[in-house]
Amino acid sequence: MEILKSAAAGTLESSDCLVTVEPGQGITLDLSSSVMNQYGRQIKATVLETLERLEVKDACVTVVDKGALDCTLKARVECAVYRSCGASASNIPWGGAVR
Amino acid sequence: MSDTLCAISPGDRFAQAQMDRLLEAEGIRRDRCLDYSCGIFDENEVLIATGSCFASTLRCLAVSQEHQGEGLLNRIIGHLVEVQLTRGNTHLFLYTKAGSAKFMTSLGFYEIARAGNDLVFMENRRNGFCSYCAALQKKRVEADRIAAIVMNANPFTLGHRYLVQQASEENDVVHLFLLSEEAGPIPHAVRRRLAEEGTAEFPNVVLHESGPYMISSATFPSYFLKDSDTVIRTQAALDLTVFSRIAQCLGIQRRYVGEETSSHVTALYNEIMAARLPVLGMDCHIVPRLRADGGIISASTVRQAIHDGRVEDIRRLVPESTYRYFTSPQAEAVRAAIRNTPDVIHY
Repeated sequence: MEILKSAAAGTLESSDCLVTVEPGQGITLDLSSSVMNQYGRQIKATVLETLERLEVKDACVTVVDKGALDCTLKARVECAVYRSCGASASNIPWGGAVR
Repeated sequence: MSDTLCAISPGDRFAQAQMDRLLEAEGIRRDRCLDYSCGIFDENEVLIATGSCFASTLRCLAVSQEHQGEGLLNRIIGHLVEVQLTRGNTHLFLYTKAGSAKFMTSLGFYEIARAGNDLVFMENRRNGFCSYCAALQKKRVEADRIAAIVMNANPFTLGHRYLVQQASEENDVVHLFLLSEEAGPIPHAVRRRLAEEGTAEFPNVVLHESGPYMISSATFPSYFLKDSDTVIRTQAALDLTVFSRIAQCLGIQRRYVGEETSSHVTALYNEIMAARLPVLGMDCHIVPRLRADGGIISASTVRQAIHDGRVEDIRRLVPESTYRYFTSPQAEAVRAAIRNTPDVIHY
């Protein structure tokens, strides 16, 4: 999927995360988390995995995590990506990639 | 949760009054320039948390003492970030008290600079300011005498040319920063072109964009919209702190400024510059204004003349290139915009 415009999903409330995606060259991930020391690597892996599944090759991704579970992270990343390429308007391919 | 987050409109006097009280109770000065405000109200319609925006900044953030530690500010910031995104702003700035800076870091904001002990300026990009500095550093020229000028050039006059000439003659390199912000009827592209043409004869002048970190609506909102002297002073001090970091990247030793006799905000800025720059390790050269027809040359006078339809009058005030532009047919839209602006004089 191609990131066409900036988009965000999520909140800054506890157990959630705010994911922002912007057009970029290659994948750059800026992660800050309230549980960075405990789960930083796991969060990074989940975000990158989700982007890969969505076939996103170029994006600037900012994640401000407030202790979100993996499923929340995945859903927020997915939603931000769909919003950024206008896919959230109809036929949302939750859990997959837009073909 | 029975509390609700909603926007506070400028006309909602009841909510606005509550906002004033909450900010005052938390020791936060209310800015006059706000273009969006929101708040969280409890079940009794009492305001317990608030936050506002101006351009790409978040400001006037406060949570009532009895409700701290409930994650209310997270909701406020989250909401304001969303508002900014719908406006198309992804690069955000905020001001906070030094005590809250650590908390803001947990919401994805990074410190750029502090003014004094109480005001911290932050942005939501980890490498925002660093990469801006790194980009500037590539344009660094090694020389013995390096100067800087920051100007709005709205539009470029003989006064600007005189200031650039002074700096150009007395230095090996002059870094000229042109305000990037769109403010007023003359578009940035036009200001840029006229500044380029007006300084073309000085080979040691390097033109830069001021970007979001220099006299912008983020660092210095009161430059663009009226505010009180205390606000101007704090923001000017912050602007100069950021400037000193930029100056280090380019090896700038002195800054040239035109003497100010009419604009209140610029005069205050000059006064603070004269006091602060030496502390920050730079010289401040205040150059007296060039005069023509018994008065000083200023861009405000030029705008006033165009505003009043006396385009011919600007001939003695501006360089040939600026005169040619404003009398050309392609400048009609800009002339009309100036005519339709009720107040063209900088306060």
